[in-house]
Amino acid sequence: METERIEAPRATPALAGAGFRPRFRTIGLALFVAAYLAATALVAHSDLGVQSLVLVAAVFGVLAISLDLVAGMLGLYSLGQGGFFAIGAYFTTIVVNSLGWNVFLVLLIVLLIAGLIGLAVGAMSLRVSGLYFAITTFIFTLVLTVLATDLKITGGLQGLLGPAFPDFPEGLESLGTPVAWCVMLALLLCVGFVWSIRQSPLYPVLLAIRDAERFAEAAGARTSLIKIGVFGVSAAMAGGAGWLFSFLGVVSPGQFDWAVSLNILVMVLIGGINTTVGPVIGAAFVSMFPALVNINPWLQEMVYGALSILAVTLLPGGVMSLLRRVAAFAWSAPPQAEFAVSAINRADAPVEASLFRKFASANAVAAQARGSEPDYAVECRGVQFSYGTGLMVLRNVDLAVKRGDIHGLIGPNGSGKSTLANVIAGRLQPLAGSTLIKGMRLDGASPSKRAELGMRRTFQAAELVRELTPIQNVMVGLFSLKPRIIQRAAFWPLLRSGRRDMAWMEGRSREALEMVGAGAWVGRAVGDVPHGVEQLTQLASVCVAGPDIIVLDEPATGLSAREVDHLAEILTHLKGHGVTMIIIEHQTRFLFPLCDRVTVLNAGEVILTGTAEEVRAHPVVRQVYLGELDE
Amino acid sequence: MLQFVVSGVAIGAVYGLIGMALAITFYVTRIINFAQGQMMMTTVMVTAEVCAAGYPTWAAALLGLGCACVLGVLSYLIAVRPILAFNRFSFGWLVSTLGFAVIVQNAAAYIWGPTSQAFPSMFRATSFHIFSAVMTGQQLLAIVTAVVLTVVFELVRRGTLFGKIGMATAADPEMATAVGVNTTVVAIIAFAVSALYAGVAGLLIGPTTFANPYLGDTFGTFGFIAMMIGGGTEKPIAAMFGGLLLGLCAEGANAMINSQASDWFPFIVLVVVLIVSPRGLFSAGSLFRSRGRVVAAAQG
Repeated sequence: METERIEAPRATPALAGAGFRPRFRTIGLALFVAAYLAATALVAHSDLGVQSLVLVAAVFGVLAISLDLVAGMLGLYSLGQGGFFAIGAYFTTIVVNSLGWNVFLVLLIVLLIAGLIGLAVGAMSLRVSGLYFAITTFIFTLVLTVLATDLKITGGLQGLLGPAFPDFPEGLESLGTPVAWCVMLALLLCVGFVWSIRQSPLYPVLLAIRDAERFAEAAGARTSLIKIGVFGVSAAMAGGAGWLFSFLGVVSPGQFDWAVSLNILVMVLIGGINTTVGPVIGAAFVSMFPALVNINPWLQEMVYGALSILAVTLLPGGVMSLLRRVAAFAWSAPPQAEFAVSAINRADAPVEASLFRKFASANAVAAQARGSEPDYAVECRGVQFSYGTGLMVLRNVDLAVKRGDIHGLIGPNGSGKSTLANVIAGRLQPLAGSTLIKGMRLDGASPSKRAELGMRRTFQAAELVRELTPIQNVMVGLFSLKPRIIQRAAFWPLLRSGRRDMAWMEGRSREALEMVGAGAWVGRAVGDVPHGVEQLTQLASVCVAGPDIIVLDEPATGLSAREVDHLAEILTHLKGHGVTMIIIEHQTRFLFPLCDRVTVLNAGEVILTGTAEEVRAHPVVRQVYLGELDE
Repeated sequence: MLQFVVSGVAIGAVYGLIGMALAITFYVTRIINFAQGQMMMTTVMVTAEVCAAGYPTWAAALLGLGCACVLGVLSYLIAVRPILAFNRFSFGWLVSTLGFAVIVQNAAAYIWGPTSQAFPSMFRATSFHIFSAVMTGQQLLAIVTAVVLTVVFELVRRGTLFGKIGMATAADPEMATAVGVNTTVVAIIAFAVSALYAGVAGLLIGPTTFANPYLGDTFGTFGFIAMMIGGGTEKPIAAMFGGLLLGLCAEGANAMINSQASDWFPFIVLVVVLIVSPRGLFSAGSLFRSRGRVVAAAQG
C-alpha cells in the first residue's frame, strides 16, 4: 500500500517514533494527552449541537479504529463492524432501559458478547479467505439489520430511545457533561491501544500474517488463531462503540445497515489505512460532512459519493500519506537516489564471522560437543503424499538427516522436492508415514509447533512484508522466543519488560542482518531492496532465532555468482556452529561442495542417498538429473 | 401451493437476472459492483419517464436499457478501473462502487423525487390458468426472458472465442494481456452486458413495483443474495439457480408463515447456505457436486 516512509539516509529508526530520544517522546506524549484532555473539557462544556457532532464523530472514530485493526494490520476487510455496533447499541439500550443495570457492568457484558460473537463469526468466515471474508461479514450485518427491523423488542424501524448516561458523582459536576468525557476517553483508549500494538513486536508479525502468512507460520505464529483473536478484539471494540452510541440518542436500524459498515471502510480509507490516527481523521470527516455541507440532502449525498470515489482513486494511502508526503517535503527528504547508489556499493558487505557464535543454537553446540553419536536431526519414514488428484507426489520416501550435516535434496522439476520440504516443515500432512525431528514423532504438528522445536525454513520466493524494513522482518523470526508478546502488545510501551525486549529484539535483528552481510540495508523498506538482499533478509530472519535445523528451499535462485558464493560462505559458517541444514537446490555446483550427503528424488521416489561424489558418479543420476545421455 | 411456485419462479427469475448481472462483472473483474441495482433502477425510471412523455413502450424500454448500459460502462471507468489499475487485489472498489451507487440513486431521487411513478404495463391483462394457479402474462414473460438470457449467456461463454477470452481475463488478466487480449475492452463489454441484464430485470419487475428511485437498493440486495446462495462468484449461471431458489423461498415464506415473512426468511436461507456451503449451492465443487462425486466414486 504505502511504500513511502520518512527515513533517514543512515538507516537508523526501525519503528516510527523510535528515532526520537525516549525523553522527548515521553514529553511529546504527555503534551498530546494534556491537549487532548483540555479539548475534551472544552467539548464537555460546549452546547448540545457541537457536543453531539463531536461525540458521534468520536464514536465513529472508535469504529474506524476497530476496522483498521483487522483491515489495516491483517488485511481482513470486515463489513461486519456495523453488525457488532448494532449489537452493542441495542443490547445496552434494551438492558438499561428495561432492567436498569449499571451501565459499566453492561459495558463489560457488551464487550464480552460482541467479542464472543466476533470470534464465532471470525472462525466461520475465515474458512474462506479474502473477498469471501468481506462478503460473509457483510451478510452478518444484513441479517442483523433485518432482525432489528422485524423484531418487536428492538422497536422496529422507529427504534428505541437510548438510556441516559449517569451523572458525575458529587464534586465533579464542574467537569461538564459526563458522557462527553466517557466517549472522548474511550477514543483515547482505543488510539492508545492500536498505538501500543504498532510499537510492539506483534506489529510486524501481524503484517506478516497479512502479506506472507507462510512466513509468519514458519516463525512460530499460530496465524489462524491470531486472526480470529484479533477479529474478536475488533468486534468487542465495535460493540463498545455501540455502547457509547446508545447514550447519544435514538437507536434505530438505519444507523447500522450495511451502508454504515461500508462508510466505516470509507473512513478508514480516506484517513489512511494501517495508520494510528488516520481512521479517526476519516471518521471525523465523514460523520461531520453532512453538518459542514449544508445543501439539499440528495445533492449532499451525491457529493459524498463523488468524494469517496475520488478519495480511493486519487489518494489510495489516505490523508495520512498526503500528510507524510508534505512532511517529507517540508523537512527536505533525504536524497534517496544517492543513498541507493552508495548502498549498492556496500551491498556485498562481508559476512560477519564473529557474529555467528552469538546466534549459534545452544542445543546444536552441545550436540556438536558430544561428538559423532548417531543422532538424526530429521527423519522421514515411508512418507506418502498426494495433492488429491490421484497422482502420488511422494512415494514411500525415507530420508535421514544426521545432526550437524548439510543434506542436499536434488531432483528434476516436479520430482517432489518442495513437497517433501513442506511435509518436513509441517505445512503439508503426509497421507502415510511419519516425520521425526530430533527423534520425536511429529504427526500432525503445525509449522508453528515445529518452529518452537528449533526448526526454521526459508521459501523459494522470499516471503516478506514489503512495506516493513529488514529489521522488522527479521524480528518476526524472534516471535516465538519472547513470552506473551500477544498479551503484552496492548500496552507494550508502558511495560519496562516491553521496552527492554523491544531493544533486545531490534539489536539482535540488526546483528543478524550484519551477520549475513545485509547490514547496510536495515533502514529501507524490503520492497525497495534488491532480490539478493531480500534473500539475505529471509536467511537472517531464520538465523536470528538460533535454530538447530534449517530447511532451505532453493536459496540460490536468482542470485548472481558473487551472491551465491556469499551464500555458501554463510551456510559454511552456520554448519561450523552445528546447525543441521536441508537444502533443496538445482545448482549442483553450489550445492555439492557444501553437502555431507545428497538425496536424489525422481518422480516422488528416492533414487539414491550418498556423498556428493557417489551421487555424481551414479549412472541413473547422471541420466535423469544431470542430463547426460548414455556414454 | 402451486400458486406460490408460479409466482416464486417468476420473481426468482428477476432476482436471478440481477444476480447474474452481479456475477458477470465479478466473473471478469473479481469485484462486486454495488451499483448494479442502480442500473436496474435507471432502466425503470427512464422507461417510465419516456413512456409518460407519450412515446411507445418499446422505444422507452430500449432507451432505458441504453441508459443502463452507459451507466454500467461509466461505473467501470470511474469506480473500478482506476482502482484495479493501482492494485488488482485492493478492496477500494467496495467503497468506490458504493459511492457510484450513492450518486446514481440520489441523482434519481433529486430528478424524479422520492415517490413512485406509474410504469407502463405490458402483458398484465392477459393471464393463464395452469391447473389451480393463475399466471399473468408478465410472469410468463419474466420466466421466458430469464431462460433465454441464461441460455444465451452460457452458449456465448462456452461456445465462442469471446466467452473464452472472458474466462481467460477472469483467471489471469496479466496473462490474458500477454496473449493479446485487450482486458479493458473485455471488462467494458462485461459491464455493459451486466447492466443490460439488470435493466431487463427492471423492465420485467417494473409493472409490479412501479418506478421508484430506491428500487435499486432492494433489488440489488436480493440479487446479491441470489448470487451468494447459488454460488455465482464461481459461475454466473449459478446465480440464476440461486435466484429461483430465493424466489421460491420468499414466496413460500409469504404463503406458509405470514405475509411479512419474505422480508426476513431469505436471509435465514442465506445464512444456512453459507454455513453449510460457503461457496454457494450450485457452483463447482460445492456441496451437491462433491456429494455426487463421492457417491459416484463409491459406486464406481
